[in-house]
Amino acid sequence: MHPDAQDRLAEAPAEWHIASILVHLRPERSPDVRAAIAALGDVEVHAEERGRMVVTVEGPHEGRIADHMTAIHLMPGVMSAVMVFHHAEPMAARTAGER
Amino acid sequence: MLDRRDFIKAQAVAAAATAGGISLPAMAQRSMVAGEDAQLTWSKAPCRFCGTGCSVMVATKDNRVVATHGDMQAEVNRGLNCVKGYFLSKIMYGQDRLTQPLLRMRDGKYHKDGEFRPVSWDEAFDEMARQWKRVLKEKGPDAVGMFGSGQWTIWEGYAASKLMRAGFRTNNLDPNARHCMASAAVAFIRTFGMDEPMGCYDDFEHADAFVLWGSNMAEMHPILWTRITDRRLAHNHVKVAVLSTFEHRSFELADIPMIFEPGTDLAILNYIANHIIQTGRVNKDFVEKHCSFRLGQKDIGYGLRPESVLEVRAANAKDPTDSKPMSFDEFAAFVSDYTLDKVAELSKVPKERLLALAEMYADPKTKVMSLWTMGFNQHVRGVWVNHMVYNLHLLTGKISEPGNSPFSLTGQPSACGTAREVGTFAHRLPADMQVTNPTHRSHVEEGWKIPKGLLPGKIGYHAVLQDRMLKDGKLNAYWIMVNNNLQAAPNSDNETYPGYRNPENFIVVSDAYPTVTAAAADLILPAAMWVEKEGAYGNAERRTHFWHQLVNAPGEARSDLWQLMEFSKRFTTDEVWPKEILDANPDFRGKSLFDVLFRNGTVDRFPVSELDPAYENRESKEFGFYVQKGLFEEYAAFGRGHGHDLAPFDTYHEVRGLRWPVVEGKETKWRYREGLDPYVPKGEGVRFYGNPDGKANLFAFPYEPPAESPDKDFDLWLVTGRVLEHWHSGSMTMRVPELYKAMPMALVYMHPDDAQARGLRRGSEVKVMSRRGEMRTRVETRGRNRPPRGVVFVPWFDSARLINKCTLDATDPISKQTDFKKCAVKIVAV
Repeated sequence: MHPDAQDRLAEAPAEWHIASILVHLRPERSPDVRAAIAALGDVEVHAEERGRMVVTVEGPHEGRIADHMTAIHLMPGVMSAVMVFHHAEPMAARTAGER
Repeated sequence: MLDRRDFIKAQAVAAAATAGGISLPAMAQRSMVAGEDAQLTWSKAPCRFCGTGCSVMVATKDNRVVATHGDMQAEVNRGLNCVKGYFLSKIMYGQDRLTQPLLRMRDGKYHKDGEFRPVSWDEAFDEMARQWKRVLKEKGPDAVGMFGSGQWTIWEGYAASKLMRAGFRTNNLDPNARHCMASAAVAFIRTFGMDEPMGCYDDFEHADAFVLWGSNMAEMHPILWTRITDRRLAHNHVKVAVLSTFEHRSFELADIPMIFEPGTDLAILNYIANHIIQTGRVNKDFVEKHCSFRLGQKDIGYGLRPESVLEVRAANAKDPTDSKPMSFDEFAAFVSDYTLDKVAELSKVPKERLLALAEMYADPKTKVMSLWTMGFNQHVRGVWVNHMVYNLHLLTGKISEPGNSPFSLTGQPSACGTAREVGTFAHRLPADMQVTNPTHRSHVEEGWKIPKGLLPGKIGYHAVLQDRMLKDGKLNAYWIMVNNNLQAAPNSDNETYPGYRNPENFIVVSDAYPTVTAAAADLILPAAMWVEKEGAYGNAERRTHFWHQLVNAPGEARSDLWQLMEFSKRFTTDEVWPKEILDANPDFRGKSLFDVLFRNGTVDRFPVSELDPAYENRESKEFGFYVQKGLFEEYAAFGRGHGHDLAPFDTYHEVRGLRWPVVEGKETKWRYREGLDPYVPKGEGVRFYGNPDGKANLFAFPYEPPAESPDKDFDLWLVTGRVLEHWHSGSMTMRVPELYKAMPMALVYMHPDDAQARGLRRGSEVKVMSRRGEMRTRVETRGRNRPPRGVVFVPWFDSARLINKCTLDATDPISKQTDFKKCAVKIVAV
């Protein structure tokens, strides 16, 4: 067994993860796609132009990010969803920063 | 003022907007990384999954990879990452990572039916060398073999080739790339006299039409798919045609969607050639100057065992590669049988769609890019179908210029770089040279500084033949590296597993994880992976790219390169080379294979002082010279000046890869055209210089049916393939909890009416059964893959559900690549 191996899903959700995802979609399907994305929760649409959309996803672990990214990739009207930026840090740092 | 959360979110948005070319309100693009990540050490490395060749930035801290992100400086992916790439760093940290050699033992020594026990590297190699020497003594070099991979780094494949061909004097070396793109490689050589695409990914931004022949790029090449999507959405005139035997995710972008009857792509391609000719759109000037026509051999069998009825019945199973010259008029007459009416009926594609597709190729104003992967290559007529797509591009002169591009995609990170360019196939040597050509062998003997006449000229056993020979007891000492063949090989219960467990055989598997293949071996060697070693890959667009060792492998795990070189120390020339050769070359007597292959004055000429002090390099420090550089420079010498020019070693550590030929420091994006390719002489316009006459070959072939089609007993087509979340056999991605959770098991995708007709519904537990074996799973009728009636799709990533127990070991008779896309099964409720 790898000495560094650990089950990341079992870790306490003490982290805050954020990722930005570039989505390609059929422009005429934008309302349906936006509705479907909103239904996922923890997801925000920031910009859309000529069938390209910038979305951020937040969550307690990267599994949430990946689930949402895959879900968006497979939505009707969506051609692809790919990761651009990902950042994680302890929850404490984030709250401290907010104060 | 922004709080920290908003600040990081703004960075995330800015990065995605920049990558997507979207304008945002004034916002400076900041560093990709924020907060603590900024203090980590970041280095570049290519992704180790598919053949796209994305570059990722890898952060390390305390000998551990802690983060990765898409590389903004990389032309291939421009900062983007697919879901597999996102989890790259986690593939190294699976719970069951192998960290020490394991040997089957009973009563303290090796026993074929023993239990796996941990042993030292010395004990492992002692037993392995004992077995190799036994087999070499009893049966000679033909009984020794190796199955490698398009995931080997360039120098690992090169070292393996030297050890097998020059060390053990056998060409029984094949990569798992045989299962992946042998048909493409063979057709390149037969058409252009040189392997690999003439174009590159820049074609995506120039084409007016894209045709996906079987490929599901949306799931298998997601990053390249974003480039096609961008082009399509930004330009209204751009059209996308998607052909497949079932509906999949790429159909979402299709302007011309086409579901065709399995195997009838041959007829569709001949129809398009016929359409181009009948409508007077042949580029006559181009064809006259740059093309030759040949009539190919027909009725060539299906690459099954020779006693199979299909082989006995085939008229030309013994000489499938034959062809003879023909004229353009004869070619035109040959394809004139393939009329729109006839082909629409055969393929079940509506006429107006076939016509619209044919017009993409025929219209001289439309720049067209053809894309394909396994759908074409894993095909009992895979070489033919590759030839047929080149026919279309050559008839119209739509080739070797931006946007006009027949483009063969690959599935492994170094299928091109290692399997093809290094030449780890049973018939190949470096830089497209062939083992059967005495001049080529002699040239390699000079480069390797080994005695004349040492290299064997007989083609070795290819992948499927290796399995048959293991089962038949003719191949007895066998080393499998970086691949999971018991899961990947066809008809595995009958043709693969018996060979591994044949008591006459000793099977060694080097891997990072206990795959089903490792579990069937006699000795398991723990391997270092990806950034645990210095590496180089070659992607699908001829791009060679490097990475440094960034962390150490866990426990006793060592790179394949170290394993190959260290094992070579256990043999002397006297033990493995013929007496006549040693008598004629007495200086070589009594030397170890390590000395003659790797301490030959070329491989060992760069001292460890040339290593970059910022990075570890275990192999070089252990062997006492810069191993990777020496191997690369010896290898690169074969291609320089011959159209395969690679840049100097050190350059590749600085850049995000370069596309060969690299001449005078400049890469080549499009080959064979004057002004774009320095190898084309002034005034020639176009020259296919891989062939001595400078011309490309068009081949005429008929439609012929698959090896096995549905009948009343086995009434459905089985098509196998992949899914977004998992890469090939899943030995890495199934160990990433997030990917496992997203797609935990291989389902059988079928049409709801087919399910209903069998009393089944979504979620029903079923057996998929063929004449060869069966596999248990559940029915999916609504998922992302939607087969038409009569077809089912099953992915092969799941080691608990081995669909290759059902597949047929029929291969293309020319390329020897298996057809995993067409056999007959039935589905029954459990």
